[in-house]
Amino acid sequence: MKQGGELPWWIASIGVALGIVLLWQVAADRGWVSPIFLPGPDRALAALREGFAAGGDLTLHVTTTIEHMLYGWVLASVIGIALGALIGSSRRARDYLGLTLEFIRPLPASAIAPVAIAFLGLSQPMVLAVIAFGSVWPTLLATAHGVASVEPRLIEVARALRLSRLQVMFKIALPNAVPDILAALRYGLTVALILAVVGEMLAGQEGLGHRIILAARSFRSPDLFAGVILLGLIGFTSNALLAVAERRLLRWQGR
Amino acid sequence: MRFPRGLVVPLLALAAAEAAMRLSGLESDSIAPPSAIARAFATALADGTLLQATGETLGAAAAGLGLGGGAGLLLAIALGLSPALARLMRVPVDAFRPIPSVALIPIALLAWGFGFPMEIAIVSFACFWPMLIIGQAAIAGIEPRLLEVARVLRLSLPARIGKIVLPAALPRLFVAFRLATAVSLIVAVTVEITTNPLGLGYGLMQAQQALEPDRMFAFLLWLGLVGWGLNALLLLAQRRLFGRAGWVAEEVR
Amino acid sequence: MRPQAPPLIGFEGVSLSLGGRLILDDIRLSIARQEFLCVVGSSGCGKTTLLRLAAGLLRPDTGQVTYAGNAVTGPAREVAVVFQDYGRALLPWRSAAGNVSLALEAAGVPRAERGPRIAALLERVGLAHAADRYPAQLSGGMQQRLQIARCLAQEPSVLLMDEPFGALDAMTRQSLQDEILRLVEASGNTVLFVTHDLEEAIYLGDRVVAMRPNPGRIAEVFDIPLPRPRHQLATREDPEFLRLRRALFDFIQEEER
Repeated sequence: MKQGGELPWWIASIGVALGIVLLWQVAADRGWVSPIFLPGPDRALAALREGFAAGGDLTLHVTTTIEHMLYGWVLASVIGIALGALIGSSRRARDYLGLTLEFIRPLPASAIAPVAIAFLGLSQPMVLAVIAFGSVWPTLLATAHGVASVEPRLIEVARALRLSRLQVMFKIALPNAVPDILAALRYGLTVALILAVVGEMLAGQEGLGHRIILAARSFRSPDLFAGVILLGLIGFTSNALLAVAERRLLRWQGR
Repeated sequence: MRFPRGLVVPLLALAAAEAAMRLSGLESDSIAPPSAIARAFATALADGTLLQATGETLGAAAAGLGLGGGAGLLLAIALGLSPALARLMRVPVDAFRPIPSVALIPIALLAWGFGFPMEIAIVSFACFWPMLIIGQAAIAGIEPRLLEVARVLRLSLPARIGKIVLPAALPRLFVAFRLATAVSLIVAVTVEITTNPLGLGYGLMQAQQALEPDRMFAFLLWLGLVGWGLNALLLLAQRRLFGRAGWVAEEVR
Repeated sequence: MRPQAPPLIGFEGVSLSLGGRLILDDIRLSIARQEFLCVVGSSGCGKTTLLRLAAGLLRPDTGQVTYAGNAVTGPAREVAVVFQDYGRALLPWRSAAGNVSLALEAAGVPRAERGPRIAALLERVGLAHAADRYPAQLSGGMQQRLQIARCLAQEPSVLLMDEPFGALDAMTRQSLQDEILRLVEASGNTVLFVTHDLEEAIYLGDRVVAMRPNPGRIAEVFDIPLPRPRHQLATREDPEFLRLRRALFDFIQEEER
C-alpha cells in the first residue's frame, strides 16, 4: 500500500544518485583520480553511444552475453527442477545424496571453469557448461526442499482423496515448491550473469566479459566503463522482470 | 553403528572412477584416477604449495570481508536506524547493487595491477552488499521498544549502538556475516581464476594449463573441502552462540 | 429418531497402539446409515484416532473397522474427511473453485463437467460469490465451508468431521452447525462428528458417544431423542436438552476426578 508521501522520497533519492554521478564527473574533470582508470561519465556515455552506433560492436557483445546467460540459466533451471523434484520426493534419494549435495553447494561455481576448459577447451560450450553448473544448484536445492516440505495435512488430504503419486507431485508437491523455486530462479539468474562474464573473460571470443577485459588491457577505460554499466543494466533488468513475474505468480499469498 | 548413507554415493563413485581409469588404461589430459589425485594432493601438501595458495586465498578473502563487510555493516546501521536516510539511499543502492563484482575486475586491474590489493578490492565490493542489505533489515527490525528504552535512558549514540542495537540485531547480523563469508571465498577464487596469479584459483588454472588433471582435481576437491569446512564452522558457531535465536533469524531472512 | 437400518460403519473390537502407547482399547461401535453420531471426551481419549480409523488413514492392531460390511483397508471415495485445521487442509495457491476442483480431478471427472459442479457446490455452502478468491482472502468460517464443499464434491455417503468448528468464533460456529444440519438433511449423509464441545454434540447428534482416556475406550452412549429440525434457541431451551446436558456434564465431571 503506497502512502501519499512516498513520491518526494523517490525524487530525493534519484537526486542523491544524480549527485553521485555529478561527484564522479567532477572527480574525473579535476583529475582527482587518474583518467586512465576513472573516465568521466561523459566519456563513458560517449563510448556507449559509439558502441551502439552503426560500426560499433556493442550490440553483438550485449546480445552474446544475454544469450549465454539465458541459455545457461534455462538449461540449469529445467535440470534443477526435474532433479530437485525427484530428489525431494524420495526419502532414500535424500538420504543417499544429501551429504554430496551439502558438499557441492559451497563450492565456488567458477572453480569448475578449469575442469570445463579441460574437457571442452576455450569454447562456447565451455561457457554454457560453467553457467549451467553454477546455476543448477540453487534451483535443485530449492525444488527438493519445496517438494519435501509439503504441509503434512495436505498429504493426508491427498490420501483421503486417493490421488496417484503423479497427481500428488503435479497438483500438490510442485505447486507447494513454487515460491521457493521462483526465489531460486531469480538468484540463479544472477549467478548465470556472473558466470557468463567469467566464462567470456576466459574463452576470449565474444561477449561483454571478453570486451571489458580487452578494454582494460588496451587501457581504453571509457569502453571498459561502458561495458560495466551495461552489465549492471542487464543484471538490474533481468532481476526486475523476474521480480514482477514472481509477484504475479504469487498473488495467492494474499500480500 | 550403521554405515552413513551419505557416504555411499561418493565412495562408490570414487571406486568406479578408479576402476574405469585403470581398466581402460586411458592416459588423459582432462581426468585422472582418484589414486593419482590423492598422490597429487599429498605432493602439493608436502611441498607447501597447497597451503601457501590456501593462505593467499583465505587472506585476500578475509581482508575483503573485513573491509567490505565492515563498511556494509556501518552503512547498514546508519540506514537501519534512520528510515529517512534509508529512503534517500534506495535509488543509489538499487543502481549499484546489480553490478556483478566480476565486472569490476578489469577496473581493479587497471588501478592496481595483479596482486593482493586488486583482489581485496573486488572481494570488498562483493561482501559489502549482503552485509548492507541483510544488516539493514536486521537493524530496522529491532524491537522498537528497545530503542525507546535507549532514548529514555539518554544513551549516547555509540553507547546506544554498542549496548542495544548491535546485541539486539546480532543473530541476524551473524546470518548476514555467514553469507558474506561464503561470498568472500567465492569471489576471491573467481578473481584468481579469471586474472589474478595467486591463491587456489590460480593453482587450479595453472594445473589445467599444464595438463596436470590430477593436481587440478586435487586443488578442486581441497577447495570444496575448505568452502564446506568454513561454512560448517560458522554454522556451528551460530548454533553455540545463538541457539534458538539463530534459527528464528534464519527463518525471517 | 432416524429410521433404523443396518450399520454403515462398524468398529469390531478395535485396538490400536501408537508409539508404544495403547491409544484405543477394544472399541465396539456401530453407526447406522444416515445417523449423526457425535463423539466427545477429554484430550487423549483417542476420539481423533477413532475418526482416522474410520477414514482409512490408520489400520487397527486388532479387530477391524468395516464400511458397508467390508473391512476398511484405506481411504474410500464414499468417505470424506473434514479436518479441524482448515487453513492447512486447503491448497493456498488455488482459488476456492480450484480447491473444490481438486476433489473432482481426483475422481477423474472430465474437465467439461467440472465447472457446473463446482459452481453448484459453492452455491450449496454459500461461497458462490467467493469462487475466485484465494484461501488467504477468506475468513476462517469461509475456509471451513470451502473444505466442506470440497468434501461434498466427492459425493460421499459418510462425512467424518474432526472438531471442524473448534477454531472458529461462537457466532460462526453456530451458523455452521445449522448449515451442516441443513446439508446433511438434504443429502442424507451419515456423519461421525468429533468435538470437545458437549452442547454442540447434543445439539447436532442422534447419539453422543462419550469416551474415556488412558487407554481410550467408550464409556457411555447417550441417545438424543430431540426433535428435528433443531433450532439454536428452541432446542437449547428444550427440557430434554437440558437434562441431557446435565447428564453429560456430570459424566465428564466424574471422569475428571
